[in-house]
Amino acid sequence: MVGVGRRSVGAGHDTTRGPGTSARSVWAARLFIAVVLVYLFAPVVVTVLFSFTTSRRLSLPIEGLTLDWYREAFADPLFTSALTNSLVLAAVTAVVSVVLGVTFSFGLARLGRRARGPLLTASLLPAAVPALVMGIALAVFFTALGRPPGLPNAAIGHILVALPFVILTLNARLETFDFSVTEAARDLGASPLRTFRDITLPIIRPSVIGAALLAMALSIDEFVVTWFTVGNQQTLPVLIWGLLRRGIDPTVNALATVVLVALVCLVVLSNLLSRRRR
Amino acid sequence: MVTRLPAGSLRQLGPATTFYAVFFGIPLMILFVLSFWTQQGFERVPDLTLRNYLDGLTDRLYLQVFLRTILVGLVTSFIVVPLAYVMAYLMRFTFERRGQLLLTLVLISLFSGYLVRIYAWRTILGTGGLLNTALMHLGLIAEPITALIFSPWAVMITLIGLLLPLALLPIWSSMANVSRDHLEAARDLGANGWRLHRTVLLPMVLPGVSTAFAIAFVLAAGDFVVPAMVGGTSGGTLVGNLIANQFRGSGADWPLGAALAFMIMALLVFVYLISVRLLRSVARW
Repeated sequence: MVGVGRRSVGAGHDTTRGPGTSARSVWAARLFIAVVLVYLFAPVVVTVLFSFTTSRRLSLPIEGLTLDWYREAFADPLFTSALTNSLVLAAVTAVVSVVLGVTFSFGLARLGRRARGPLLTASLLPAAVPALVMGIALAVFFTALGRPPGLPNAAIGHILVALPFVILTLNARLETFDFSVTEAARDLGASPLRTFRDITLPIIRPSVIGAALLAMALSIDEFVVTWFTVGNQQTLPVLIWGLLRRGIDPTVNALATVVLVALVCLVVLSNLLSRRRR
Repeated sequence: MVTRLPAGSLRQLGPATTFYAVFFGIPLMILFVLSFWTQQGFERVPDLTLRNYLDGLTDRLYLQVFLRTILVGLVTSFIVVPLAYVMAYLMRFTFERRGQLLLTLVLISLFSGYLVRIYAWRTILGTGGLLNTALMHLGLIAEPITALIFSPWAVMITLIGLLLPLALLPIWSSMANVSRDHLEAARDLGANGWRLHRTVLLPMVLPGVSTAFAIAFVLAAGDFVVPAMVGGTSGGTLVGNLIANQFRGSGADWPLGAALAFMIMALLVFVYLISVRLLRSVARW
């Protein structure tokens, strides 16, 4: 934990670390971060831990370890259909929101600064409306159209939830994109499609994949909008909600751990990819 | 850079804009129109009445829940945003080299399952839960603390854990643009501690802090899953529960639910604007 001091040490100031930090305040800072991390990860640790314990009731001390809850969860046909539906929704959400998001972000990048700001803000609006309101608005909308609730309705909701984050990610990437390379390709006679495929896409690919993985993670974790649009169909969060309402059932912890592992993989990958080429 | 006509740009902006208009704009408009209809038994009758709004404003129970929702939202965000600010500051300036790792950890917690984290808090805070059991084993308490679960406190404890990562991200990204030299200069000129934050750093990261506050406040006050899971039936109900019940419960009343939704959103915007004004007046030279 030794800081890197590039500048000379000023009179009485320890510039090797953050501005003006004494040894005692560094310890206070470490304690603060530790407490926050415990707060953030306590629920995660509890869930994963109790997905492997033998007792039905969640209490300490732990009596023994087992994989039974996973076996029970995977044997449930509801789980299989929920898993399939969640994966289908995630894939559809990723593809559609990325296609819409990429085209939109390119359109934004071509605009002047003054027009870009308000449009970007407007495109992030769905993220600022409570999911509950979005859920009931979509439920009312589909009812008005005479469409019964189901997976397609939920897919629309998921895309709406994911699109602002996809646009945010891609917009950040395109801010540093050098448009002269695409203009050069066009001048050399490449069609717009070919320019996009051979020049633009290879450059922005990590960010695009990063955005797609983020959209999948958002979709797999989405509960509120789904609950109002999906009807009697299952997705993983809808299934978990149903089990939770019925009372204590340790298979929930196993299901949750499966979801957790999937989400963490997606987010870590997404984070790594979006960070490259900055 | 803008050498092209916006025609090409419009074509690219078109698909997403259309999607938003059809599946976001129109549904909200329909919901708004619906809030003036009336529910008669199982039928929704087109109407142009303010009764749903008046019901929301005059019913004692509803008013109580509205007030509680705003309070829970405000208390939660006034705890979450300072915590996120301190955390972001430490990640950016004190533990710079570990900042990236810490950020990844925060992101992981953000995506560790919305429902699951709420449920886990119920396990931790419950009467026979981990916290009570641990405290009793340690001999610190004789009887389980029942107020931990099914109360506004449980709702806030859970919401803080859910919203901290979300509030941290905008503050962190605006601090990423602040150079360390800037803070050094301010410090050399004699600004220290509270003054350094109030007069130098906070004004610079104010957009991020306002965004964080908006996210924390709207999501805390608009949530219905947390109060449904850990809030109990009486003391922890928020407006979100009332709205959700009008749409997926017995005795559903969509027009009333729609009116409640617009009332809480208007209230949220109002309280948010006042809070940001207050924040601005604190962060000043």
